[in-house]
Amino acid sequence: MAGLAQKLLGLDRRWLFLLVFLGVATPIILPIGLPVTTTGPTRSAYEFVEALPPGSVVLLSFDYGPSSGPENDPMAEGFLRQCFVKKLPVIVCTLFANGGLTLANNALARVTAEFPGLRYGVDYVNLGYKDGSAAVMRGLDQDFAGPFPADTRGTPIAQIPIMRGIQSVRDVKVVYSVATGVTGEYWITQMHPQSGTPVISGPTAVGAPKYYAYLNAGQLVGMVAGMKGAAEYEKLLAADHPELAQLYRSTRGFTATKGMDAQTVIHFVIILFILIGNIAYLVTKRSGSIHA
Amino acid sequence: MHVPVLGTWIAALLTIFALSFLYKDNPLFRFTESLFAGVSLGYYIGTTLNQTFVPNLIMPLTHDFANNWDLLVPGLLGVLLYMRYLPKGGWIARYALAIFVAYYIGLDFTRRLHGEVLPQLARLIVPLSKFDSHTILYSLVFAVGVLSVLVYFFFSKEQDPVTKRVARLGIYFLMVSFGAAFGFTVMGRVALLIGRLNFLILDWIYPLIGIR
Repeated sequence: MAGLAQKLLGLDRRWLFLLVFLGVATPIILPIGLPVTTTGPTRSAYEFVEALPPGSVVLLSFDYGPSSGPENDPMAEGFLRQCFVKKLPVIVCTLFANGGLTLANNALARVTAEFPGLRYGVDYVNLGYKDGSAAVMRGLDQDFAGPFPADTRGTPIAQIPIMRGIQSVRDVKVVYSVATGVTGEYWITQMHPQSGTPVISGPTAVGAPKYYAYLNAGQLVGMVAGMKGAAEYEKLLAADHPELAQLYRSTRGFTATKGMDAQTVIHFVIILFILIGNIAYLVTKRSGSIHA
Repeated sequence: MHVPVLGTWIAALLTIFALSFLYKDNPLFRFTESLFAGVSLGYYIGTTLNQTFVPNLIMPLTHDFANNWDLLVPGLLGVLLYMRYLPKGGWIARYALAIFVAYYIGLDFTRRLHGEVLPQLARLIVPLSKFDSHTILYSLVFAVGVLSVLVYFFFSKEQDPVTKRVARLGIYFLMVSFGAAFGFTVMGRVALLIGRLNFLILDWIYPLIGIR
């Protein structure tokens, strides 16, 4: 027993990598379709947006890059779909330098293709990227045209129909920051106290624990945390909107719900690793003390 | 070869090169790492130039100088930052940097207080008048956790037997917090692997072997 435990503790870590690889790849090839349960923070975010009357302008900030795309992309796309179904005009921007703009363009291209009647400038607009997160938020509190004088197509902001009546960030009904890193926190700690505009956060799972403090303090109206949160959001969307349920069922593209099969399997594998590692350690320790 | 297909092939091969580090360090991984760093820097410069520098500085100055001449000040400060590369003029950059740092401290200081410190403190101080067992229990755990962790991090006075026990309790709270953070971190990292394998299998291998 002690010999086996010793062997396990000295196991080449590449075997573990291989098992993790198989644990992730297998459910992608052979989907299981495990159920997704929803949690309070996601429901709060979803219900807040659902309760907005048609025509309410919302702001979606793509504050992440390709490195966290698998987690953040489904969040942003789910929110866009909800807004377009609910007829909520969306102002899109990004404060994340490396890839934020490209990801915003890609998400808009994918989702707007699903809603053929949408008009750029009326139902949505892309204001693009701006450097200096906190300073941009300071500017947004006074006037959108300060930090964003034009959209990504070069149209002056005053000539964009959706921006009529939207002077500052105080005029939007909610800010949804899909984020990795500190930019998402800035919306809560820098923009919200000044303007009072409600904030929903979509952090990566790594950043989520810190956001719970903001959520509990009432600084957020809801939170969509990591891939699990995005899968919950997709489930809520599918439950209330049949057209989106059909879309999520039939799409060939990546969705958070599809990723949750692999998440579940790999969590099981990792828990198994932790148990085996600890048992092997204890057995080795005990046999070592007997020999001593 | 059709361009999207070529793009998929390049992305797939670079993904495999990057993951090859898990087996052992090799030239293909090094190549991918350097390429990624270079492309990221180029993307950052291009985006900042086209999305911030041109619309917020160059265009206003060239189209309506009379109403935007004050933009010359931040523009000049930006140029001064690069003086550090001059052998004898490096000190000039410090003035621009000092203004830059001072601006962000001023901006951050009050809003950090109102956006982070005060709301979190307000959350800690809740009235006990509400006899809701859940609220009281939750708030009690919250308050005990915050205070015991603060005691653990109080290094200005040697701990006596009482504070030592409180600090010990603080360690348990910290361990629970680290455990939750670790669990979320695992979930986050696995999500990235899921994204990459999803791409490799569904967007690259399946079309390659004729599965749609």
